[in-house]
Amino acid sequence: MTAARAAVTPAPVADPRPVVVEEDGRHLLAGGRCLPKGHALARPLPRCPRCRGEVVAARFGPDGAVWAVTVVHVPAREGDEVPYTLAFVDLDAGPRLLARLDETLAPARVGARVRLTSSSAAGDPVAEVVA
Amino acid sequence: MTVCIWGVGTSRFGRQPDRLPAELAWEAVSEALEDAAVDGVDAAYVGTVFGAPGVAQRALSGVGLTGIPIVTVENACASGTTALHEAREAIRAGRFERVLALGVEHMSTMFDGPIAPEATDPEQASGLLLPALYALSASRHMADHGTTPSDLAQVAVKNSEHGARNPRAQRRRAVTEEEVLASRPIADPLTLFQCAGLSDAAAAAVLGPARRDHRDIPIRACALRSGEAWDQDSEHVWGFDVVRATAGEAFEEAGLGPRDADVVELHDAFTIAELITLEALGLAGEGEAAARVRSGELSLGGTQPVNPSGGLLSRGHPLGATGLAQVAELVWQLRGEAGDRQVEGASTALLETMGGGAAGLDGNGCVVAVLGA
Repeated sequence: MTAARAAVTPAPVADPRPVVVEEDGRHLLAGGRCLPKGHALARPLPRCPRCRGEVVAARFGPDGAVWAVTVVHVPAREGDEVPYTLAFVDLDAGPRLLARLDETLAPARVGARVRLTSSSAAGDPVAEVVA
Repeated sequence: MTVCIWGVGTSRFGRQPDRLPAELAWEAVSEALEDAAVDGVDAAYVGTVFGAPGVAQRALSGVGLTGIPIVTVENACASGTTALHEAREAIRAGRFERVLALGVEHMSTMFDGPIAPEATDPEQASGLLLPALYALSASRHMADHGTTPSDLAQVAVKNSEHGARNPRAQRRRAVTEEEVLASRPIADPLTLFQCAGLSDAAAAAVLGPARRDHRDIPIRACALRSGEAWDQDSEHVWGFDVVRATAGEAFEEAGLGPRDADVVELHDAFTIAELITLEALGLAGEGEAAARVRSGELSLGGTQPVNPSGGLLSRGHPLGATGLAQVAELVWQLRGEAGDRQVEGASTALLETMGGGAAGLDGNGCVVAVLGA
């Protein structure tokens, strides 16, 4: 008689986060834009959520502005150091992106100018406040 | 055909890790069946968000409800009211006569603190907890309208005063503005006392056609929508537009407007949610909700009490059960059975529940209903 094996560990879910790529030293969001109306999307979805139009790949950023910002005092995941700053960033002529803010250069506030940088070690999009 | 609420019931609210979800459902369903003066139903719609597969069937079998169609629905914080909506529509369509709407949620065995949407949500994966999503709305509301931390705290003060009068509430102590602002920071500007508590509970309603000689409460209108795209082109904070659109449908069906409601239960998962929802429902102009809270008009004893139960902030927030707990409160209010928190002469009630993550969507789901004459 042998002991039964415990249930196997399931595979982790695929990473659903928007993808930031580096091109010519600039960090850009690899999103999409719908053909009929030009709606900017943070992710290249099959169809536009606003108009159902076809979507093609598009790059956005690196510059944008803070639409809303919060300092979070509770960790969302194991290993998160608190506090950390999260913002909805509206990329110029681009989509709204949830990003961690790097406030080394300037403190964050609504309307502050920001620039995408390399993603965090955990893989989260990061923007630094530039003014 | 006018569909009525024949009876309502709820379990206790609070962290109850030592009780199974089914036990909570038995408490709520037994009370609702007795209140409705029936011993069975023809079908059941069950709202739950994190509920285990089969939780509805297991729960209902324990109170003798087997062999009937049972449909489980998930619609974020509006799951319970989605069950209500679908139960009403099924009766209107002639599919069934007596239908149970049940909401059940066991949060304390899923979370130990702030909740997150779920693992495949892009923004949860980037570290966005629900309080942070609402904190971002607060940040924008403050920038757009000059809303202050004190304005936010006043919502918690009001609802805690109401909750202190509700024997079923999880938090039953009135708190001061100073206490609210000094409580633990969660996601600026939101502090702990501005967040609904993690709660395990069930709530239920039995629906059917109007009966003679009963205390049935008519559902005058009920609307259900999912969110549309929410992005850089959206004028309002997250969740505003879906509440406004859903409310518009409900008010049109009811043939009345927001100011006609004598009493309101709305989805105050966080203090900022009450301000945004008051404005989205048309109970206050944009940027004017905080002043209406401060005026006392929305307090018990005021002209249009909002969240007389104490709201989610006091009752706690068992996601799938919340909507039907709101329904139970409004049924008690409209029958004059709300005890120390009774809104005198209430005859028309407004109900709103909404929820979801962001993920480019203005909420997953929203239900707005008008109950009463």
